[in-house]
Amino acid sequence: MRRFFWRRWNVVLHRDIGYFSVALVIIYGISGLAVNHVADWNPNYVRTKEIVSIHPIASIEKDTIIATMMDQLHLTELPENYFRPDPETAQLFYPGTTYSVDLPTGNVLIEQTRRRMVLFEMNQLHVNAPKGLWTYIADLFAVSLIFMGISGLFILKGKNGLKGRGKWFVSVGTALPLLYWIWYQYLQ
Amino acid sequence: MKKTLFITLFTMMITLIAVSGGKKNYGKDVTLKETTKISAIIAEPEKFNGQRVKVEGPIVDVCKTRGCWIKIGGDKEFESVRFKVEDGVIVFPLEIKGKSVVAEGIVSVKKYSVEEQIKSGKEHAEKEGTEFDPASIKEPKIVLQINGEGAQVGDK
Repeated sequence: MRRFFWRRWNVVLHRDIGYFSVALVIIYGISGLAVNHVADWNPNYVRTKEIVSIHPIASIEKDTIIATMMDQLHLTELPENYFRPDPETAQLFYPGTTYSVDLPTGNVLIEQTRRRMVLFEMNQLHVNAPKGLWTYIADLFAVSLIFMGISGLFILKGKNGLKGRGKWFVSVGTALPLLYWIWYQYLQ
Repeated sequence: MKKTLFITLFTMMITLIAVSGGKKNYGKDVTLKETTKISAIIAEPEKFNGQRVKVEGPIVDVCKTRGCWIKIGGDKEFESVRFKVEDGVIVFPLEIKGKSVVAEGIVSVKKYSVEEQIKSGKEHAEKEGTEFDPASIKEPKIVLQINGEGAQVGDK
């Protein structure tokens, strides 16, 4: 009777914590795939670069440079900020776009940065960029995952349970990271 | 009941998005009252070495790989300072480039001898598969940065 009681609660908790966690499981899973391949792409942003030419700018006055750049680049709004990294370059900053002009040649590098919608937010949550309260929510989620992993072992009994086919799958699943690490650390 | 719950959640989300604009804090609060000019730090780095300072200016560059530093433009032309934060502790998003920042941290000044620069240059070239000419290093180099603790990023 006691054994039945324990298993029943195990199933109930596994089910309901599973329902509760499903959104975060999906978020962390998708973000994990995206961040895993960070060497091949930027999982957070789409960045583009383009070079256009305008007339060389001889002036060194800030207001003249800004006005000339705006006129030649057909920009209608004033930039958020302006900067001169070196004597030959002037930069105009707009939200998501930077215009860097090489004053003597008039070559302008236009760099645009755009967030990858949804994926950016998923990645930020995954890497705990917000800190603060999210740290504790993520901790709770991590504990939930551990619980679901362990409770999942005891959902079924018999030939499909842990003592049956389950033990083989658990063994292979445990050996996989263990063997990989031994190979990576000592044999590679 | 279900409809009320859905409307409440939706309203909360919209409210959160609406109030999320304006200034945004990264890391600890900025507490110093007095602002130090970046040009003053660059002019006399040794004087400020180890000191806590508050600086402000436009964000002219952001670390593209980890968001672990920003470059803050100085009050004088052609001057900027790197504001470096601990990896993962603060992550600066790329889109803050061009916005204005008020930032606080400890000034760090490190001197690198010619030998040290040649050694690290060789290592870097080997790692990146690029060429490096040791003869290009002629004198010791001083690297100045602010080890960042907190920043407030917003519009001008």
